[in-house]
Amino acid sequence: MSTDKPAWKARLLSHEMLLLYVLIAEWLFFYFTGTTTNRRGVIVGFGTIDRQFDILRHSCEIGLLALALTPVILTAGIDLSVGSLLGLCAILFGKFWHDAGLSIPVAAVLAIGCGAIGGAINAALITTLRLPPLIVTLGTYSLFRGLAEAITHGAVTYTDFPESFLFLGQERWLGLPTQAWLFLLVAVAVWLLVHRTTFGRSFRTIGFSPGGARYAGLPVNRRLALVYVLAGIISALAAIIYTARLGQAKADAGTGYELFAITAVVLGGTSIFGGSGSVHGTLLGVAAIAVLKNGLACLPVVMRMNAAEEMSGLLTGALLLLALTGSVLPKILSTLRPRRQPA
Amino acid sequence: MKSLLLRLTLFLCAGLAATTAADSELVVAFLPKSKGNAYFISCKAGADKAAKELGVELLFDGPTDSNAAKQNEIVENWITLGVDVIAVAAENKEGISTALRKAQKAGIKVVTYDADSMPDARSFFVNQATPQGIGYGLMDEAARLLNSEGEFAIITASLTAANQREWQKHIEARLAEKYPKMKLVAVRPCDDLKDKAQSEATALMSANPNLKLILAICSPGVPGAAEAVKQAGKTGKVKVIGLGLPNENKRYVHEGVTDSVILWNTGDLGYLTIYAGVALAKGELKPDAKTFKAGKLGSFEIIGDNIMLGKPFIFNKGNIDQFDF
Repeated sequence: MSTDKPAWKARLLSHEMLLLYVLIAEWLFFYFTGTTTNRRGVIVGFGTIDRQFDILRHSCEIGLLALALTPVILTAGIDLSVGSLLGLCAILFGKFWHDAGLSIPVAAVLAIGCGAIGGAINAALITTLRLPPLIVTLGTYSLFRGLAEAITHGAVTYTDFPESFLFLGQERWLGLPTQAWLFLLVAVAVWLLVHRTTFGRSFRTIGFSPGGARYAGLPVNRRLALVYVLAGIISALAAIIYTARLGQAKADAGTGYELFAITAVVLGGTSIFGGSGSVHGTLLGVAAIAVLKNGLACLPVVMRMNAAEEMSGLLTGALLLLALTGSVLPKILSTLRPRRQPA
Repeated sequence: MKSLLLRLTLFLCAGLAATTAADSELVVAFLPKSKGNAYFISCKAGADKAAKELGVELLFDGPTDSNAAKQNEIVENWITLGVDVIAVAAENKEGISTALRKAQKAGIKVVTYDADSMPDARSFFVNQATPQGIGYGLMDEAARLLNSEGEFAIITASLTAANQREWQKHIEARLAEKYPKMKLVAVRPCDDLKDKAQSEATALMSANPNLKLILAICSPGVPGAAEAVKQAGKTGKVKVIGLGLPNENKRYVHEGVTDSVILWNTGDLGYLTIYAGVALAKGELKPDAKTFKAGKLGSFEIIGDNIMLGKPFIFNKGNIDQFDF
């Protein structure tokens, strides 16, 4: 069907481009409706540069998890444990720093190492026992959160981090929120991995047909291990950013984040069955959800109803369903339409 | 078609912008720990009343669960919206303080109520009752019911919330000081959920056959524990008391499962909080004030930077029907 259209036209109607249009429309809508002047005569709301930076700041952790999940989902896998691993790594980071008396950088490196181990546990169970990723990571989802709660007895909250560390989560560096630089760095790295290396191609091949990939001589287990360990490492990075943003590490850090991240990935056009998708799609998905959520909170009408959170949940769901319907609709239509005779 | 849509959108936007530009009254934002909790809904009822009397606009939003990270995000939303006053019941003392300091820097007046933040992150804390008054009150009531003898257990909201920990500390202090024949066998968190309180209470009873009383120090915990005791057929054998709302516990109090419910007047707490916040924004409440007059409720004492609501109150079979919150 797309072959009889010019390439540029197909490109303009690709999933990612459609999502970009939605994002721009969303942004413009909130810009015009969510920006007001308060009684002190100050311009407030969505249209302020502070708000835009807040959106970026709030998106970093879920954005990182979504980046971690994109390669995983490309291989037709899933990792439900990323949010729990975030919580566990946040607690471990706090513990290394506060209880073991290590410096912040050392504690951070160790926490990231623990993230890698967490990912490796997932990878080992999935590749050696050939268990479905959904079941394995459902198990580690509870396991990691449970560990975090056990370590702190549900009671300890690590706080009083030094200013220099909080800079990472609460201040700006070179014009952008500090953590945004880290997020961009990871985004570029994952993009290069998925779109510019043979690794990336192998993820899609595995997702498309794991059996076929094995026959083709791909080291399927090693590649799968790579994506889950990578997911663990990125989750740990998100844990450190989260801790720096809130100035606290508590066992409930990142609860429910995995579902937001999966939503962003799927909204970004990555097939939940694996085999197709893109990192830039994921980034657009993250942005679309973040703008929606933060924009709604700026709408005076929504504010008066005291329902920003509920509305954003509802509309995110609607947006996801709309995007999924939109992506299968052309296929359904093309099967219904009578075949054109070749000229 | 497209241009029509565009025009429609622009029209809608203009309409929305116009409705907000007309507002010139003070905007007070009121943040509960979790917004579905009846305790905070009853605080809000008082807050609404105060807002109406003062002619200010009240925004009420909070996490659907007790989530410290979400509280920060909501406060940040309010900062960019440029509200005038933010009143907060802090889920996590240090966590919320980052956001509150940012609000103060933006010229917003901050008061806390129910659970305090770090002192430098707000102007005043509206203190519903001293932790000592509550802890001692609960422990004395428990001792009165058990004739100062036997095992009891505590159900708390979360082991991290600052106010819960304070209350627990004072309960334990009173226990050590006055009741040597009583024994605290366990402290379990219920995450501010009735279901979880019920299952924790059931587990407590089976793990401790000699348990005589369950003391719940969060509002969903009291009916949760009562339901567990009732279903286990231990009404009267295991007594239930705790901090809670009269309405949630009326049924159990009348059935004899729950003996007494201890609390302050939550509506008054919300009312006083809004009055204090607005007075602060108008410059009528100074940092060194010793008393504060809040509308129809009259005058309140200020100790340091705490505005004191007063003594806790015991609801029981005799008086509980006089209250509706």
